[in-house]
Amino acid sequence: MKQIGKRLLELCLFLFLLSIISFVFMKAAPGDPVRYMLNIDDVAISNEQIESLREELGFNDPVYIQYWNWLIRFFQFDLGDSFMTKQPVIEELASKIPATLTLTFSSMVVMMLIAVPLGTLAALYKNQWIDHASRIFALIGASVPSFWLGLLFIQFFSVELGVLPSMGSDGFFHLIMPSLTLGIAMAAVYVRLLRSSLLESLGQDFIRSARARGLSPKRIFIYHTFRHCLTPVITIFGVSLGSLLGGTVIIEVLFSYPGVGKLVVEAIIRRDYPIIQGYVLFMGLFVVIINLLVDLSYRYLNPEIRLKGADRQ
Amino acid sequence: MIHRSRARIAVIVTLAILAFILILAPYIAPFDPTQVKMEERLKPISMEHLLGTDHLGRDVFSRILTGAQTTVGASFLILFISLLVGVPFGLLSGYLGGKIDRIFMRIVDAFMTFPDYIVAIILSGFLGPGMFNLVLAIVMVKWVGYARLARSVVLTEKQKDYISMAKINGMSSLNILRRHMIPHVTGNVMVLATLDIGKIILMIASLSYIGLGAQPPAPEWGAMLNEAKGFFYNAPQLMLIPGLSIMMVVLIFNLLGDYLRDHFDVKNQKG
Amino acid sequence: MIQVTVLAISDLTIQHRKTMIVQNIEMSVDEGDWFALVGESGSGKSVTAAAIGGLLPRELKAASGSILLDGKNLVNLKERELRKYRGTVISYIFQDYQGAFTPFMKIGAQLDEMLRTHTNHSKKERKERALHSLKLVELPEERVYNSYSFQLSGGQLQRAAIAMAMILEPKLLIADEPTTALDSMTAANILQLMADLKEKAGCAVFFITHDLRHVRKYANKVAIMRNGVIVESGMKSNVFHQPKHEYTKALFEAIPSLRKTSARLSSHL
Repeated sequence: MKQIGKRLLELCLFLFLLSIISFVFMKAAPGDPVRYMLNIDDVAISNEQIESLREELGFNDPVYIQYWNWLIRFFQFDLGDSFMTKQPVIEELASKIPATLTLTFSSMVVMMLIAVPLGTLAALYKNQWIDHASRIFALIGASVPSFWLGLLFIQFFSVELGVLPSMGSDGFFHLIMPSLTLGIAMAAVYVRLLRSSLLESLGQDFIRSARARGLSPKRIFIYHTFRHCLTPVITIFGVSLGSLLGGTVIIEVLFSYPGVGKLVVEAIIRRDYPIIQGYVLFMGLFVVIINLLVDLSYRYLNPEIRLKGADRQ
Repeated sequence: MIHRSRARIAVIVTLAILAFILILAPYIAPFDPTQVKMEERLKPISMEHLLGTDHLGRDVFSRILTGAQTTVGASFLILFISLLVGVPFGLLSGYLGGKIDRIFMRIVDAFMTFPDYIVAIILSGFLGPGMFNLVLAIVMVKWVGYARLARSVVLTEKQKDYISMAKINGMSSLNILRRHMIPHVTGNVMVLATLDIGKIILMIASLSYIGLGAQPPAPEWGAMLNEAKGFFYNAPQLMLIPGLSIMMVVLIFNLLGDYLRDHFDVKNQKG
Repeated sequence: MIQVTVLAISDLTIQHRKTMIVQNIEMSVDEGDWFALVGESGSGKSVTAAAIGGLLPRELKAASGSILLDGKNLVNLKERELRKYRGTVISYIFQDYQGAFTPFMKIGAQLDEMLRTHTNHSKKERKERALHSLKLVELPEERVYNSYSFQLSGGQLQRAAIAMAMILEPKLLIADEPTTALDSMTAANILQLMADLKEKAGCAVFFITHDLRHVRKYANKVAIMRNGVIVESGMKSNVFHQPKHEYTKALFEAIPSLRKTSARLSSHL
């Protein structure tokens, strides 16, 4: 428990640093957001208008005061309003997060459905046709741009066959192509990783000992090998969740899928700082929580870490 | 073993062709890649336009050639700067150790916690869209990996007896770094770099596709796909050609990276 | 007393693709024997030992010859059949005691797993038998039963490994350099324990080592192996006192005799 508390403290510190960094970066960034805001309406603007808006938004205060004000509002769950929509950032993000998480999760399912069986078979039948097939899949998968794969899917399934919708998020069918695209692209990366970690497990001395005891291959695989390579698999799971989130940005733009990724890209192009800042904090929180969960699962899977941690306390 | 060496020759030959295209692209390109000719728009593949024309009547072949310069050229630039920043950082941090190393590792870990794409997107978000900013953003993502690699190589080598011997014999730190550490680091870094170049190309193309990188009318492969989005049905070559170009180039570098890893990485030689 | 042959290997050749790893191996081990196979690293000792239980890596193949265990040829046996022999008739202990047990399962669970695989004992019987076997190797049985391998010392682990190997009273215990990774005091204790257990259980020991002192103390039969070929074999006394092969002679000369050294030391005093 002590360790979890320590991790939570680290988490808070980390988020605090992240907020400072993101704030400093934005202040140093080129481009005047006030002009971008006023340009949205496409009308001629006078310098007085710009100046009054700057004053209104507190852009004329010293940076540290701006940060302080921002931090106070942050603890009241107020991240400011989006320049684009004038809606509170928190609401904008909250309305988009479920869609992104759904996409991330379904892509993860697709990835696991491909990577786990293919990686396992490739390790068990090393240097046989299935292993070669997995190698080719991984090589091509790592070379195809995921957005282009998505374009091919749209062209084939939506334009040619007309069986799947290419845009938006309105139920299960809208999820199929985006999660297939992302899942396949990710699976290509993790198939080989899974294979090599399985092979490493199979080559362990304790596996030889288990064989020498006359245990059945099935038993050895389930109770000894698989459990041993669960640790790397969970690491992969944790790491891939981050990359998946990164991938969702591209995929959301490609399929006009209304998630946080699409939101932040639009915000970047229109220099909508509060949204970008909210996105940074959301991502920071998400990634740190995932790492925490991965850490905790190590403790469960590896008694050595668990018991030694207990000793130290 | 014959097909191994054949594969090696194939990879080298393709690399040579690629280098040739990259350097000579402006001279090979038959048309101005940015010249708009509305009367020539969406022409299919012909003798005049080897890969047809796009929705603004620009010659796709010329755009692919100059686009190679943008995409692949920028990738090499990113790699070069990342090496230049990352390797010395890692070398020094690992060699000096102590407090500097601990602070350094903290920074590296913070970077590594975040997925590549997210960091690159956020950074280019702060810097604003554009090719130059994208290069900067990806460098900031990539240098960490090289610093970490160089550091870990130094840490392993540092413990070996020959380094202690060199120290006892009065070799200066600079000479130890230069004569003993750098050769070890080079091989490892080479392998990582070749495996990375494909990823960088994909990243540039992807981020350009969503509008954070090269801006139209600059011919960049990802941006070309974005521009031609509405015309795939009428002119499928506008979708196929840039995509296949990216895929082929990345594939070549991945093959080369795999080959180098199998032959130079000690860790993988056993398996 | 009639000697029953437990293991008879004849004309065994093992190949890796076209290269011979071991060639024309002949040996026989009788009940109650302590058979020592001696050789430098890479001479093919461990491959021979692995071949007996069918534990060869996939890329190694027995090209010819036979391995008779209790009169049954193991070479052509299917994996499914072989499995019934491993742990029950032949059992192994290895040099690497860390690798004897799966790290994330308790020792007790692994003993239990083995008994469940090979016997029809009830849960209670299995636990009793497991505890008894740990007691036989002079370990604090309850504590070890509930421990993970990383909680035990090297000597304790090797004892637990022996308990596991002996639990089903095998006819042949194959010990592949069981003491190489241990310090000399622990090693001596482990070997003494093996010798005691061998007497009690009446099994044969197939002992792989490069330490001739251990051979002199415990073995009754010796085979010397070099480059995949057995250069000399026979009763210990014959091989030790009248080595015929040049390699054997060189081997004995390379080992400092403790007795001679101490004699020399005392003469200096």
